[in-house]
Amino acid sequence: MTLTAESVDTSVQTALDSPWVTIVWNDPVNLMSYVAWVFRSYFGFSRKEAEVRMLRVHNDGRAVVATGSREEMERHVEAMHDFGLWATLTKADA
Amino acid sequence: MRAFEPDGDGSVHAVLEPVEAALLAQLAGQVAGLLAEQRGGAAADLAILRLLPDAYPDDSEASAEFRRFTADELTEKKLRNARILIADCANAADADGPFTIHLYAASIGAWLRSLTDVRLVLATRLGITEEGDLAPDDDEEALMLTDVYDWLGFVQDSLVSALEE
Repeated sequence: MTLTAESVDTSVQTALDSPWVTIVWNDPVNLMSYVAWVFRSYFGFSRKEAEVRMLRVHNDGRAVVATGSREEMERHVEAMHDFGLWATLTKADA
Repeated sequence: MRAFEPDGDGSVHAVLEPVEAALLAQLAGQVAGLLAEQRGGAAADLAILRLLPDAYPDDSEASAEFRRFTADELTEKKLRNARILIADCANAADADGPFTIHLYAASIGAWLRSLTDVRLVLATRLGITEEGDLAPDDDEEALMLTDVYDWLGFVQDSLVSALEE
């Protein structure tokens, strides 16, 4: 692999950009079983991991379910809205 | 209604009374009507705002832009989900008695989402917006809607459970 100025620039830029996170918020409507199912089927979490995140949403009012670029997080938020979950994105350090 | 059960091949089945199937189709149709009515406009209706929430909690401009790019497609998906549920309920709604409906993979995803959309709209109408909120119990209509809302929760929970068995 040859490093070009351009590819180094892009990867350094991506690495230094502070990441964004997708947050799912607690709401009184969505069933705990459904939220856990969404986490498993969309994010591919294991049964246990999905349960842990779902309980975090339920008990703490919110949980981070993904971290990455802003574009990626927008895709996840859109997918969560498709499932009817209340999701937002924000800068990780915000 | 008899709760959803797995068929063993990825599909599930439940037994619905005609009146239950008709109610499911009617509710999905009403939510679809609401979505179609608000298509392309600003999310003014509280129920629509719950179906298509702000993506950026502290940035209304970014939220508006996100909505501009995603609302049309999300609305189309929600309308499609409602149409699938309505079509799946048609035979059961017209039956003379309890009717077994089978849902396959494509329908299951549509049902789970459409049931969610209907429950979100009903909850908004009933004023259930925060954890611990109770529906008003002082008028007939609210009591009836609360029963429907709870029943939809049962239907959805039984569908999720059938997928986990």
